[in-house]
Amino acid sequence: MEQDQKKLQGLSETLQKFQDDLQTAIEARQRLESQQAENKAVQKEFKGLAEDSDIYRLVGPVLLKQDKSEANSTVDGRLDFIGKEITRTETRIKEIQQGSEKKRVELIQLQQQMQMAAQGQVQS
Amino acid sequence: MSTQTQPRTGSNAQQQQALDISTLPVEQLSQLQQRLSQELEHLSNSHARLRAAQARFKDCIRSIKDGVQGKTAETPLLIPLTTSLYVPARPTKTGTVLVDVGTGYYVSKSTSAATTFYEGKVKDLDKNLSDIERAVGAKNGDLRVVEDVLRGKVLAEQQQAGQGGGGKDGEQGIPKGK
Repeated sequence: MEQDQKKLQGLSETLQKFQDDLQTAIEARQRLESQQAENKAVQKEFKGLAEDSDIYRLVGPVLLKQDKSEANSTVDGRLDFIGKEITRTETRIKEIQQGSEKKRVELIQLQQQMQMAAQGQVQS
Repeated sequence: MSTQTQPRTGSNAQQQQALDISTLPVEQLSQLQQRLSQELEHLSNSHARLRAAQARFKDCIRSIKDGVQGKTAETPLLIPLTTSLYVPARPTKTGTVLVDVGTGYYVSKSTSAATTFYEGKVKDLDKNLSDIERAVGAKNGDLRVVEDVLRGKVLAEQQQAGQGGGGKDGEQGIPKGK
């Protein structure tokens, strides 16, 4: 009986950990998505610019003038990276969800077992 | 901009709900109610933030109109160094402004091009705002339905408990029974 209690506690702790991990992963994905949206807006803005327009990049406290092609490739590179990160986070979220579902089933089974055992004791 | 994904997940939940809302036990219904209220709060917060952002862009348009366009290099301006400290200054270049296009990039634009840029931003936000408003309306409807069903269930349970005088919710029945 006591063993079961301990097991139950362990299970619910792992489940809680899964939930926390899921929460952080989802937050990370949301952050990535908003970064992606911002970079896409910048990319779109660059597309509509004339070849000779002045583009500056904020580096610390100073504005540095940058070539349009260079700025473009930087933003493209960022979008590429962010896209990859998003797929990575997606797979991680899926993994966590699967793991947490498995633990949940285990937990419910154990609870049912314990309930049955308790009922059996009351009856006998 | 992550708010754009919200309406989609919302309509998903809606579809699932439509199937079995009245068959759910009270406990799950109140969980659902709680979750819906949370989502609603999140949406309203996003809405408020978007509104604030839109107001900032509108401010930029107004500043260009009032402060830059039609002014010459002779016009003195007060430049804020902090929110409460200003220095008088004269623009060296009129007709062009430096616009923050996001992610640390600034582009030099003519005043009219800058106005077009900000107007585009305001219009984009308008679209997002109406999306969110629609989502809020739908969520509000969902929440009302869930609350109605929940109230009906609780009432029915109370009545049952009152008549039967037993069961685990039988506290109201006890005085009658004695």
